Amino acid sequence: MIGLDFSVLAPLGFVSIGAMAVLLLDGLLSRSFVPGMSARKRLLTRSRIGTLLGMFSSLFLVLAIYTAASMFWSGVQLPFNLLRPMLQLDALSSFAIVLVGIAALLSVWLSLSYLPAAHINYGEYYALLLLSTAGMFVLVSAVDLMALFLGLELTSIPIYALVGFNRRKLRSNEAALKYFLLGAFTSAVLLYGMALLYGATGHTDFDGIRRGFAAGGALSLAGLALVIAGLAFKVAAVPFHQWAPDVYEGAPTSVTAFLSVTVKIAGFVVLLRFLVLALPELGDRVSILLQALAVLSMLVGNWMAVIQTNVKRMLAYSSIGHAGYILVGFATDTPEAWTAVLFYLVVYPFMTLGAFSVVIALAQGGREWESVDDFSGLASKRPGLAALMTLFLLSLAGIPGTAGFFAKFYLVVAAVNAEHVVLVLILLGTSLVSVFYYLKLPVAMYMREPRNEPSQEASSSEFVVLALCAAAVLYFGFFPQSDPLGSGLQALDLAGRAADFLQ
Amino acid sequence: MTVPTLATHAITCVVFLPFAAGLSLLVVSAFASLLSRSQGLPKIVWQVVASATTCLTFLLSAVALWGRFDPEATGYQLVERVAWLPEYGIHYFVGIDGISLVLVMLTTFLMPIVLLVSWKEIGRSPRAYLFFMLFLETAILGAFVSLNLFQFYLLWEVVLIPMYFIIGIWGGPRRIYAATKFFLFTQAGSLLMFVAMLVVYRLNYLQGGALNFDLIAVAGFPTVGIPLLQTIVPVAGAPWWSTQAWLFVAFVLAFGIKVPLVPFHTWLPDAHVEAPTGGSVILAGVLLKLGAYGLLRFALPLFPVAAKDFAPWMLGLALAGIVYGSLVAMVQKDLKRLVAYSSVAHMGFVLLGIFSLNLQGLTGSVLQMLNHGLSTGSLFVLVGFLYARRQTRLIADFGGLAKPMPVFAAFFGLVVMSSIGVPVLNGFVGEFLILLGAFGANPWVAVVATSGVVLAAAYMLWMYRRVVFGPLDKPENRGLMDLDLRERAALVLLVIPIVWIGVHPNPLLRRIEPSVSLLLQSIELRQLQGEEALATLEPAP
Repeated sequence: MIGLDFSVLAPLGFVSIGAMAVLLLDGLLSRSFVPGMSARKRLLTRSRIGTLLGMFSSLFLVLAIYTAASMFWSGVQLPFNLLRPMLQLDALSSFAIVLVGIAALLSVWLSLSYLPAAHINYGEYYALLLLSTAGMFVLVSAVDLMALFLGLELTSIPIYALVGFNRRKLRSNEAALKYFLLGAFTSAVLLYGMALLYGATGHTDFDGIRRGFAAGGALSLAGLALVIAGLAFKVAAVPFHQWAPDVYEGAPTSVTAFLSVTVKIAGFVVLLRFLVLALPELGDRVSILLQALAVLSMLVGNWMAVIQTNVKRMLAYSSIGHAGYILVGFATDTPEAWTAVLFYLVVYPFMTLGAFSVVIALAQGGREWESVDDFSGLASKRPGLAALMTLFLLSLAGIPGTAGFFAKFYLVVAAVNAEHVVLVLILLGTSLVSVFYYLKLPVAMYMREPRNEPSQEASSSEFVVLALCAAAVLYFGFFPQSDPLGSGLQALDLAGRAADFLQ
Repeated sequence: MTVPTLATHAITCVVFLPFAAGLSLLVVSAFASLLSRSQGLPKIVWQVVASATTCLTFLLSAVALWGRFDPEATGYQLVERVAWLPEYGIHYFVGIDGISLVLVMLTTFLMPIVLLVSWKEIGRSPRAYLFFMLFLETAILGAFVSLNLFQFYLLWEVVLIPMYFIIGIWGGPRRIYAATKFFLFTQAGSLLMFVAMLVVYRLNYLQGGALNFDLIAVAGFPTVGIPLLQTIVPVAGAPWWSTQAWLFVAFVLAFGIKVPLVPFHTWLPDAHVEAPTGGSVILAGVLLKLGAYGLLRFALPLFPVAAKDFAPWMLGLALAGIVYGSLVAMVQKDLKRLVAYSSVAHMGFVLLGIFSLNLQGLTGSVLQMLNHGLSTGSLFVLVGFLYARRQTRLIADFGGLAKPMPVFAAFFGLVVMSSIGVPVLNGFVGEFLILLGAFGANPWVAVVATSGVVLAAAYMLWMYRRVVFGPLDKPENRGLMDLDLRERAALVLLVIPIVWIGVHPNPLLRRIEPSVSLLLQSIELRQLQGEEALATLEPAP
């Protein structure tokens, strides 16, 4: 090994190389057509190239997940220094990389069947997806504001393009533009906050900020507030949430699934690391700020979801509500609460991706099942899909027997132990509201007469994703902690190991 | 991992048998549909297997639970305990005493009858209906035998899901509204209970206990259960409105919604009217008992001081339920709504007995839970049979049914008598004990409650007269078929315990009383300890 230890960069390297390779191959294969050959005789149509590249890119994600997981198990802590520490691969970041990687992998598999159905099966989709994933890997391992900003931009810019990927669809374009404009504005806010923090403390690395924070006085507090606002935008916490419903609705559903899950994981992990490592202590003012974000997100997200009739918009508002629940853990700010937050981030991807993959499995020929009415009578036509959707929604609602219940349970226990009873009451009250809108779909699927003719059978890649998500939701719903099958999947303990690092 | 057998894990076997059967049916059916491209196993196979399972569950519970239950011993019997999430004090922990034994037997007894009654009624996706019923049975049984607060909460919530679908899919015209209302009402109470449960857990820990949700400390198990928490009154200042009071109110709301306690009862008539017959029987017969059982098992022993302080208020609410339920029942035009409101009144009696806080009252309540399950269940069955013939439940559409349907009229008469509480039938024993208990608590309460008995006689007999006697003036009613063999079988099964309990309640009372008196002793003991703790907290003058 020479001076720099590049093994820190291994997961990041795999996905970045994968992105470049996909882009290159896409270009090479598309141009290899013999001119004049009719479209029907071509072995490699653009669509087939897309599918091929999708499979190719999942290979790189698997490699990244594997290396990150082995680093997590071996418990290494590697800093990556460029003059000063920029990235750090430790228990928390490798944990988050594994999570983001799995979520990205599942999204890729969903896209394999969704993109052809929506007639947008182009190879660069996967390159953009991998690039964005690489950005999230940077984000979760950042220990310096510069790296954080770099990661955030690398995450966001490909997603702007992905949201507008369906060029023929007006809503997709609108969503992309809206997300881009608001995102650019937020980046500016975040950057301004970073500048203030640098001005107040003289440092951009988390460690330095912590040491200089108290001396910075009001200036450092203002900077901190702006940084929190910037990150709150990424995780769609109220009042920085307005983009979410439009983007979720307009984006191709596979992109919605991807961004609703991965960006949330990465955003919360970096917020956690920043708040715990870059602040001497949370302090009353910041705590109140976080509590306000949490309460507003829970209330607005869940109440607005009630009146939605579009399933994707409903899931958008519900994800805002879930951001609120997770922020309760941030406001609680004990090691127990950090563990609970990380456990929530283990569970959340599976139930959300599960719900979106049901929506995707029903899409056919460019037409999607978006409104609640579309789902009427699904149970009599496709009982399996209806049952799975019900399972995922019950988990999102936090009904016992599903993983979503334990996710909320650990958060609530942590908050009660820290005597945040009011937050807990709001959390439970709003989850009662959430039951109401989550039930809308089972009501439609099971209790109304069929209206639409559903598509053909789910494709094999969708089937795999659905089965994995359902298995995870049920498994963590009964064994969040114990390990009866000897699989090593003691989710809570793993989350605890990642959180231990912060202490 | 040891394989559970009937000898070592009797309760587990009984509880999980229905769900295991349901799941295997589902899996086999799915494979069958894959192989033959058909709809899966034929309906009749499902029906036979499901019915056989529920019958077997009843037999098992009779042999392995009722048979092996020792009425002389006090405390919980046939206890099993396995670590589940031990770091949080969450265990799979089951056991029965006299109270839960009675309710378990009621559940396993009613379930085969429910399947028999809904044999023809369910036209739409009967397989799913049977699966939900089997799932529901396991969830209910599991809740009745839970000795771990967390496990109880879990199963209490899980009960909601199959019931929600049973009402929502196979119910009447307003089923979606009724199902959603049922779900939201119960869920609201559950969430309150959830917070209260966690606060109890936390306080128990702060006061030197272990982190534990177990309800009791059992010999041979080293951990300490929550009941050692007799001193949950740590709040300085007003002792009246102490922490214990808040927690008690949260638990009472959670359970009271399900019982139903009067201001929170509005979901019940809707749910009952819209539910299919089988659903109504289970809802009235068993699910309502879950609320009363929760009060007995958790709210009273955990918060003894608050229970005593709030007893007068609870008695008042119980009386309100009795009188209000009876008066509203009197003016109902729909038979099912009438029975639903009579449930509100009858469960008011159960609450009255519980909050009399004496031996007669509590014993009567437990017995009355059983009685109400049998008699109201039978009433719903009878109304269901009428509805199947005429597609209406309005009292005004009937009259003079004694002539075309004599057997029906006879059964109906007997069940109405049981519901009123006529001596020699089951209702009498329970109501008598409860009134005795209420008299011990406060004579005036007993006086008002007795008016409820009179009102019950009034609305039930008036309804019976309008339906069964009088002129047979509707031409549609002339050709009504009397009950067929299947229907008669179901009713005979229901009538046997109705008469048996009325004539010879001793085997039941012998099993209920020791558990109830143990419960009372522990409540009194902890009231004393709690009051002492309070006295030390009050500032010296």
